[in-house]
Amino acid sequence: MKNFDIIVVGAGILGLATAYQAQKAGAKVLVLDAGATAYEASSRATGYLSLRGETPAESPLAQEAEKLWDSLDDELGYPTEWTQKGRIWAALDERELDELKSLYGTFQKTDIPFEFLDGDAMRKLIPCLSPNCLGGIWTSRSGHANPQRTSQAFAWAFNDLGGEIREYTPVLELLAEGGKVKGVRTPQGELHCDKLALCAAAHNSLLLAPLGIHFPLAPVRLEALVTTPMPPLFEQAFIGNGLSIRQTKRGNLHMNGGPYEWVDLEIGKEPAKPNTQIVRNILRRAIETMPVLKGAQFLRSWAGIVDMAPDQMTTIHRFESPAGLVTAACSGHGFGMAPAVGIAVSQLLMNRETAMPVGQLSLDRFKNVAPDWRVRRNWQAGRYNS
Amino acid sequence: MLGKIVVVGASAAGCRLALAAHSVGQDVTLVDEHPQAMKDMSFDAPWFYGAGLPSALLNDNSIAQALLEGSPELVECLEAGVDIRVSTILWGAFRNGPNCVNVGRPRVGLVTRDGNEILEHDSLIIATGVRDFVPSFKGWELPGVFGGKAGIALLDLYQVFEGRKVVVLGTSELALRFIRSALSRGVEIVAVIEAGDEVAAGIEAAEWLSQQTIPVHLGHVLQEAKGSVAVTGARCASLDGSSTFDLDCDSIAVAIATLPNIELPAAMGCKMQYDPNVASWVPEINAQGETSLENVFWAANDRAVDALLERINGAEPDAPPGPPPAASISTLDYIKAWISALHQSGDDAVTLCQCESVSRGEFCGIAPPAYLGKELRNQQTPVNQSDSSDAPRINQDFMKRMTRVSMGHCQGKRCRDEAVVALSLRFGCDVEAIRPASYRFPLRPIDLGLIADDDESDEIRLNWQMWPYETRQD
Ligand SMILES: Cc1cc2nc3c(=O)[nH]c(=O)nc-3n(C[C@H](O)[C@H](O)[C@H](O)COP(=O)(O)OP(=O)(O)OC[C@H]3O[C@@H](n4cnc5c(N)ncnc54)[C@H](O)[C@@H]3O)c2cc1C
Repeated sequence: MKNFDIIVVGAGILGLATAYQAQKAGAKVLVLDAGATAYEASSRATGYLSLRGETPAESPLAQEAEKLWDSLDDELGYPTEWTQKGRIWAALDERELDELKSLYGTFQKTDIPFEFLDGDAMRKLIPCLSPNCLGGIWTSRSGHANPQRTSQAFAWAFNDLGGEIREYTPVLELLAEGGKVKGVRTPQGELHCDKLALCAAAHNSLLLAPLGIHFPLAPVRLEALVTTPMPPLFEQAFIGNGLSIRQTKRGNLHMNGGPYEWVDLEIGKEPAKPNTQIVRNILRRAIETMPVLKGAQFLRSWAGIVDMAPDQMTTIHRFESPAGLVTAACSGHGFGMAPAVGIAVSQLLMNRETAMPVGQLSLDRFKNVAPDWRVRRNWQAGRYNS
Repeated sequence: MLGKIVVVGASAAGCRLALAAHSVGQDVTLVDEHPQAMKDMSFDAPWFYGAGLPSALLNDNSIAQALLEGSPELVECLEAGVDIRVSTILWGAFRNGPNCVNVGRPRVGLVTRDGNEILEHDSLIIATGVRDFVPSFKGWELPGVFGGKAGIALLDLYQVFEGRKVVVLGTSELALRFIRSALSRGVEIVAVIEAGDEVAAGIEAAEWLSQQTIPVHLGHVLQEAKGSVAVTGARCASLDGSSTFDLDCDSIAVAIATLPNIELPAAMGCKMQYDPNVASWVPEINAQGETSLENVFWAANDRAVDALLERINGAEPDAPPGPPPAASISTLDYIKAWISALHQSGDDAVTLCQCESVSRGEFCGIAPPAYLGKELRNQQTPVNQSDSSDAPRINQDFMKRMTRVSMGHCQGKRCRDEAVVALSLRFGCDVEAIRPASYRFPLRPIDLGLIADDDESDEIRLNWQMWPYETRQD
């Protein structure tokens, strides 16, 4: 009995964007999540769209996402807080300046207009920036949005089309038969479908392993925090002094950065995501970066788990066997990528091909990654800040 | 082995535990946020002072003195030489656990008005007591509205209470304590309003109130706190809708209930369970008050404190659990009756979340915050679909994220409990079936300048990472 055309595993932003696009294209879609909708990385992200200047192979997909972001509120019918005011990388010391100069070199391999500015020009863009800022990179392109609202916007828009999300329903096993997808096993029993989208972030690796498929992803815990609201200070997506800092529409300063810890996951289980005293160091850096923040108050902190591929790029892969299976994960920049990834994955599921530029992003690039790659890379669980 | 102990909360229980540990030679530090800076009091945590804080509280010396005079147990600790940190907020607690193995020895973050410190320890005893529960009504933002605990602190502890004519909401033990204190200081109790049909503290309390000739309006609710810059009166209504009347007053004491201060164990990740007797999620504990986290104790009640004292004095860990404490009247039922009455007599336009200015109606309708100037394309419901019978039916974090209720600078301390009961009443599901909104560090909002690390090691400084940088090293 085929209950659904497509089952999507994972109600993060990638799963939700995929489900929305597939339902919109006429499929009957069910989304399953081990926990609540967008309770993992997708609600914990800073909310930037990265144009992937640092990895030019994914930049075309990011630029497709950028076009979609500009009309996403209207498309979905729910506010995302998308703010298209450009992006800034600032250097607060000589070492950072050198690093940004070499980053700028990589950026120039894309067709996105980036400019290198001196400290004064940077402070013209963000007046509250520290006098110690020596310069940096700027682009008028890209922006940021509210991760919680955006993920939920996809969920609601999917529901509006008749799609169903079942929360607290972990997938314990992917089912395949005769080289084809058959469905999934959950604690409540089997659910059957023709096609399966696997969007469970770093859990992808665990769910694929029993099928003999190696999807190299390493989970890592990052910490983030938010201050009380401040008067409007800047609208760009800011990166500098080891932090990402954006000001939300409400006025809170939202930031993340710094030491991170590699972890391990269990199938279907919500991972622990504690904070540590490192939030104090994040705040110290925030004040160094924008001294005016001394006037704000530390309000709330949290951590999130990001999935990292060896080359830190997005993966979107359609399998020949089992047929009907597509998987995606975005190495820590999936929030911004999601609108384009959703289209790519749903098209690959429904048409076996996509108009989105994903040619360089399949799993094939990891053919030679050794099974113990995490250890070799020093990315095994327990490793900190390496 | 309890090792170095940190006790949070210098309540009578906290002081007893600290003293006991000290006297058997344990290294112990006792932390309490009181006396609070006036700015911190204005966050209404743990006690709800409202917007009308007496300026006499600005005199730090006299309120510190008052605090000591009000607590013989604290003085005893002081004289015994216990390491006491008052006016000190414990804002976070960090320890190794799943997905976090690099903290080392457990540590707590402390912050004072001058700076912050990270304190290592082995055991943590949480004796953080209770906070005020103050539900919304029209005008609850006005100076002159405060909670029962805050009222008692202003009257008895700091002795700076400025009200002369008070209307009291609630007839619990808390209300009675407030009334006794107020009367003994010559403050007039204009009336007592009770949503239920009897005095919650019992028949003797009812008789005592009538001896004092204090009018008690049973089956009534406060419809509105009147006044433009401060409370000048209270409009009451009978729950059967037959009458409304105005009372002349300058203060409204909301003495309905207190709730346990669970933010520390909750944010640390202690396993929690719902207890309707105290209308709150509370840590699961063994007989000695030990939570699901080793060497983290929750001083839930006298029995747990006594057992913990024995443990401090050398008893074995993991003593078998004793009989459960006798069930008291359910605070949840009492709170629910009040919220239901207040929501029936006041309308949906009443502000539920003061920090973010969100009304009851906007909250329950999942309206986007007003500053976005946008609406939802279609009406949505917070009720969750799942085949799993254990699945929460509503997720309070989701409601918080979508409406911003409980996301403001009071960190939800004013509104989160009413919000959850409102959802339960409107969507017809048990409070226990609602996944509670998470608690997060810091436990109080803290000035960035006070909490920022000022002794960052070179190791952290030089190894500080950003993703793009790492990419380029390969
Ligand atoms: C602090 C932080 C800051 C970030 N900043 C940015 C940023 O600025 N820009 C950006 O683009 N990205 C950012 N990211 C990364 C971004 O959040 C992720 O790339 C993106 O959310 C990934 O979406 P996802 O749907 O793949 O994963 P997730 O949101 O993690 O969703 C995966 C879902 O799968 C579910 N699941 C797992 N296993 C199972 C199972 N067995 N059965 C059923 N369901 C399962 C999980 O419960 C989860 O809901 C940040 C991340 C963090 C943590």
